[in-house]
Amino acid sequence: MVEYAIEIDNLVKKFGDFTAVNGVTLHIKKGEIFGLLGPNGAGKSTTINMLLGLIPPTSGNILVDGIDMQKNPDKAKQEIGVVTQETVVEPELTAEENLMIFGRLHHIPASELQKDIDFALELSDLTDFRNKYAGTFSGGMKRRLETAKALMHAPQLLLLDEPTTGLDIQNRTQIWNLLRQINKRDNVTILLTTQYLEEADQLCNRIGIIDHGKLVALGTPAELRQKIGMSAVVEVAAAKDYLDKIASAFKKVGLDPQVLTNKVIASGGNAPVDKVDKLIKALTLNKIPIHGISMHEPTIDDIFLKLTGSSTRDQTGADNSKAAALMRRGR
Amino acid sequence: MGLAEDTLTLFTREMLIFKKNLLQNLSRGLIFPLVFIILLGSFGSTPKNVPVAVVNYNNGPMSLQLINLIQSNNNVKVVSATTQAQAMSLLSQGSVAAVIVIPPVLSQDSASSIYVYLDNSQPQSASVVNGAVSLAAAKLGTSLVTSSIGSAPNIISVITDYAYGAGSNYESFVVGGIVIMVAAFGAMFGSGFTVISDRELGNMKAFLTTPINKYAVLFSKIGYGTVQSTFSAYVGLIIGLLLGATIAAGIVGFIELLWIIGLVGLSFGALSVAMASKAKQLQTYALITQTITMPMSFLGGAFVPVSLLPAILQPVAVVDPLTYAVNATRDIMIKGYLPVSMLVESSAILLIFTGVMIALAAFFFRDTSQQI
Repeated sequence: MVEYAIEIDNLVKKFGDFTAVNGVTLHIKKGEIFGLLGPNGAGKSTTINMLLGLIPPTSGNILVDGIDMQKNPDKAKQEIGVVTQETVVEPELTAEENLMIFGRLHHIPASELQKDIDFALELSDLTDFRNKYAGTFSGGMKRRLETAKALMHAPQLLLLDEPTTGLDIQNRTQIWNLLRQINKRDNVTILLTTQYLEEADQLCNRIGIIDHGKLVALGTPAELRQKIGMSAVVEVAAAKDYLDKIASAFKKVGLDPQVLTNKVIASGGNAPVDKVDKLIKALTLNKIPIHGISMHEPTIDDIFLKLTGSSTRDQTGADNSKAAALMRRGR
Repeated sequence: MGLAEDTLTLFTREMLIFKKNLLQNLSRGLIFPLVFIILLGSFGSTPKNVPVAVVNYNNGPMSLQLINLIQSNNNVKVVSATTQAQAMSLLSQGSVAAVIVIPPVLSQDSASSIYVYLDNSQPQSASVVNGAVSLAAAKLGTSLVTSSIGSAPNIISVITDYAYGAGSNYESFVVGGIVIMVAAFGAMFGSGFTVISDRELGNMKAFLTTPINKYAVLFSKIGYGTVQSTFSAYVGLIIGLLLGATIAAGIVGFIELLWIIGLVGLSFGALSVAMASKAKQLQTYALITQTITMPMSFLGGAFVPVSLLPAILQPVAVVDPLTYAVNATRDIMIKGYLPVSMLVESSAILLIFTGVMIALAAFFFRDTSQQI
């Protein structure tokens, strides 16, 4: 019995001069729900693509359930179920046909295929829609079908690339429950990437943050908060024009401000309540209008921001687009 | 768990989608034959009802007989004019294609001439008028000679016999080319186009994350392109037959055509997959395929016989695989007989072309990171 569902050691991927993944080592135990976070162009997708056997690493090892992805890709791929970022259920095929095709691509024996299809339809709550074309489904139904499709061949590892992007809160909760259910019942290891930090916070046992091709943080959400040494966060939201004035008020009361697009934040340090009290007085005295002021526990978002200097949703930045262009062109 | 099984699975997927979109696929086969036969008209055949103005300064029985003979020709329609000036103005306006002037003196005893003024801006019409007048004059001359002298005229008669293609018509000629062009274009849609769209939709990535032989993707696409293009070409063929084309070789020809069309679908399926594996975007792919398929169809003689191509292009037709396919369909449809040597030659050339294209596609496809 192998202890780890995924063992990634010293993984490196270079596209020409550009190093997309720079020595990532990551071991994920069986039965974990692991969240991989990182800004766009950080090396997240490249890591995932190597894990899926789509692109070969420049150096380093990947073991899936103890099977080497490079040496034995067919066997390793059998242990992985994938839900890609694009929902790739075929709209011109019925729910059942979609499952049948992927069941056959995963080499499920013909004698078991129908049983597995029925199971997948039940799991995704689509039994009544089995003969309906997937093109007529809602976004949530498609995502459920996609997830069931990925689980049909009973993989050890379920890999989801931004599984809930674009879904409303109701569908998102449904997907989360589905993931928790299969993780608990079948002990399926789940690796997901996400832009929603609250998703990682709520769903994942452990989180890894990747930036500039390196794993910059790893641990449970609670561990990460501790490790980063962030105390309570002080946050003042205001109109753009006043942010500089607010920042100088922060400095006066002994806070180290970070100016964002519509707010100023700072780590509270020692005695944050005192500082907030002084801050409110300073803002009132200078008649600076604000939209809101708060003090709260650091969220994953705060940790992420501190580590990578950008929000997960921040998609601009010359650095990232250059990296993306290189990845498309490179080989 | 081999390549064949994976190919069959993906091919099944394509066929299920094909079935869902049957109507759309049907219409794809309709467009070319309809355009080329109905809209373009009988481009290569003899014009009918070409208007000609006849000015008769003779008014004798002989000239009236001549006019009757011209009129009896279905290819021309006689419009009478009183003066040559009036007739010429009709010609300059384009109301008639020619003016025939019968001079006052017309006799079979002495040399006399009929004047024909032609508008050669429509060469087909001009040649029809010329033919009709010559024929009428010859008939008139022959009958008069026979009646007056009473001996056999001193004429060397030319006996022509159509050894092949006696029942040929323009429709059969053009449909023979169209089915090949439809097959070539159909394969571009069925094979390469779906490679690109599957890549853009993320399907390609999904296929490649399963433990299949990656080349199964290529083979299933080529297989599907072959089926789709053959289907489209047969829809085109049936439309062509309804519009007047014939297959001289009969039922056997119908089956021989299936083989030739299938090979064109296969080879162009392979060609399109090779290009789609390299082209990153749909626009690039569409541009490349049109740039290749259109000239190949024309060079292959799909619309105009290779013998009518400019002299410098004729040698190029020799290396165009479609030349052999078009020759084979014309033989089947018009000649009514496909020699075994020609069947072997065209099959071999198309299969070699297919093999080279599959090798090229596999070469472009070996690095899957380019395909996701």
